[in-house]
Amino acid sequence: MPKKQNLVMERSKEYIAKIEGHGSLAINWNKNSVKLNLLEGERLFEGILVGKTLEEMHWITPRICGVCPIAHNLASLASSEAALGIKISDQTKLLRRLMQIGQNVQSHVLHAVFLALPDYIGIDRITELNKKDPKKFALALTLKELGDEIAYVMAGRNVHPTRTTIGGFHNLPSKAELKNLLDGIKRSIPKARALIKIFQGLDYPELHVNLELLAQKSDEVISNKRRGFSIADYKKNIEEKVRDGSTAKFGAYQGEGYMVGSMARLWHQSFYKKDVSQFDINFTNPFHNNLAQAVETLFELEDGVKIIETLLREKLNSTTAKPAKNPPLRGIGAIEAPRGGLYHEVRVNKKGVITYANIITPTVQNLTSMETSATELLKQHSGASQKELKHLIEMLIRAYDPCITCSVH
Amino acid sequence: MPKNISKRPKIAIYDFTDCEGCEVKLVSVKERLLHLANRFDIVNWRLGQEQIKDGPYAAAIIEGAPVTQDEIDLLRELRKKSKLIISLGACASIAGIPGIMNKSERTKWYKKIYGANYKPRGLDALPLSAYVKVDHAIHGCPVDEDELIRTLEELLSGKTPHYRGYSACLECKLAGNQCRLLNRQICFGPITQGGCKAVCVSGGSPCYGCFGIREEANIPTLVKILRKFASEKEINNHVTMFFNQIPEYKNAFKQALKNYTK
Repeated sequence: MPKKQNLVMERSKEYIAKIEGHGSLAINWNKNSVKLNLLEGERLFEGILVGKTLEEMHWITPRICGVCPIAHNLASLASSEAALGIKISDQTKLLRRLMQIGQNVQSHVLHAVFLALPDYIGIDRITELNKKDPKKFALALTLKELGDEIAYVMAGRNVHPTRTTIGGFHNLPSKAELKNLLDGIKRSIPKARALIKIFQGLDYPELHVNLELLAQKSDEVISNKRRGFSIADYKKNIEEKVRDGSTAKFGAYQGEGYMVGSMARLWHQSFYKKDVSQFDINFTNPFHNNLAQAVETLFELEDGVKIIETLLREKLNSTTAKPAKNPPLRGIGAIEAPRGGLYHEVRVNKKGVITYANIITPTVQNLTSMETSATELLKQHSGASQKELKHLIEMLIRAYDPCITCSVH
Repeated sequence: MPKNISKRPKIAIYDFTDCEGCEVKLVSVKERLLHLANRFDIVNWRLGQEQIKDGPYAAAIIEGAPVTQDEIDLLRELRKKSKLIISLGACASIAGIPGIMNKSERTKWYKKIYGANYKPRGLDALPLSAYVKVDHAIHGCPVDEDELIRTLEELLSGKTPHYRGYSACLECKLAGNQCRLLNRQICFGPITQGGCKAVCVSGGSPCYGCFGIREEANIPTLVKILRKFASEKEINNHVTMFFNQIPEYKNAFKQALKNYTK
């Protein structure tokens, strides 16, 4: 008689906990290698978009990921605007950058604190932190709440934006709302500093990986190891390999895996020229991605202060930028999402109906590097037991902050 | 913390194929999350914890559409192991955005996106109710925090949660929004269940009806108003955003469009 299946227990053992989406590890103990299997169901977003109108693209794509919906919204808007030959105003750029700041703070705090921190302090779930250290828990909640608040004011909601449109915004925040936000951010900056202290004080597993770090900076994607490439050529340079047993593709830059996200951005100073040496981030240890996320949370909030102060000095203009006379009808939108470079590409016909869409997410790019780092971890911690190693690898995958829902879109 | 922990209802939280945005909403319930965590015993939540306990569960709260065979099998097992099945959000309740993709189109898109040799896992994007009985649906893309709390509290106190007896228009008026229909813009507000606080229209976006069609909705009248300024094609496109996999909703629109005369 066949054994009775218990999928609840089988799948809970198989899937890596505390990451977004469904993935499992296949560790080959004889060959000392690690394979990641991505098992999320395919939603086929690139197909869903075809036949929809351009104005619906930035409505649909945030639904790729509930953790970084603003990033998808902004990437879609940028690709749509490129396709229509629209140049958005400097003020719109600032307002959208503020949305991005809210997004990064939301996502970093959710990941670093709610999903990754329990590993380092030996608890199972974040609510246990409230008993163990209520002050730290309150601090994390305040920062998460602030990220949500920025998203509410700028995007209309904390998950899935409602206020943006091609060329600008349907609705702008009022100056009173912006002033409130500014006060909230200023009050929270000491808390963001305290968050960095928490992450500086953690005992990170030792790991040395010769990481290649890639980040967007203006129109380029730059690397710490090789020549980078122009964002316009993203498709030629970011290869996506389809693999058996995985519904996500695996990214590579001319054959090699690389890391994107907070560490890469801080290394390349994508957003701001700020010295990070005081934080002792080890750029060859992927576990330090969590520390880098805490550092970015502070930097993003500091940048937010500057942006709101600029906006408060200006007259807020709600007119949206209009399409060019003979638009190219194809466009690329690239943005640094919380987990790294995100690329949306779209083509439309003259009626504004989408005929082609392509999306490359940060996690797709990180997957190859996750496997290499995990294999390195097996080598460098060869004295540990299989149980300890499995746990360390799960921690490593969590530290990378994978979003499998994004990677299988 | 209640003294008798064993009396706290055991809850499982699951996510099938989706964006996990409704779970993000669950997390953003913040301090109320703690209050809830004390009254429930969340014994199974992959996104939040590693320690998992098997059923029986007082309730399984399920987000996402079951797209793969494995998810469908797991859903059926969860039905057997749970007193209540609660769908969380549009994907679980009405298939939502993943449901825009029709089953007949999937093979073409697997080939285009993954190449000719790809072995897909997905079968079709349908709501939970296509496979099992759903006891209550928490609607929305994403769900609203207050609605989430309200439903969970009603469940905790042993009540059958009720649906809002009014349309999204009521909350839209309270929010002081201009009527999209009067502005000749497609809007499903009049047939959509309230509870969303009209957050999309307040932000300037259309209402696609993600909170589900309310009881006694008058689709023919809405279609009559829409046809004054929108084409049949535009209305059908609007319908497919969230209702593509709900034949009952789609047929009601089809019939109303067919019967429409100026």
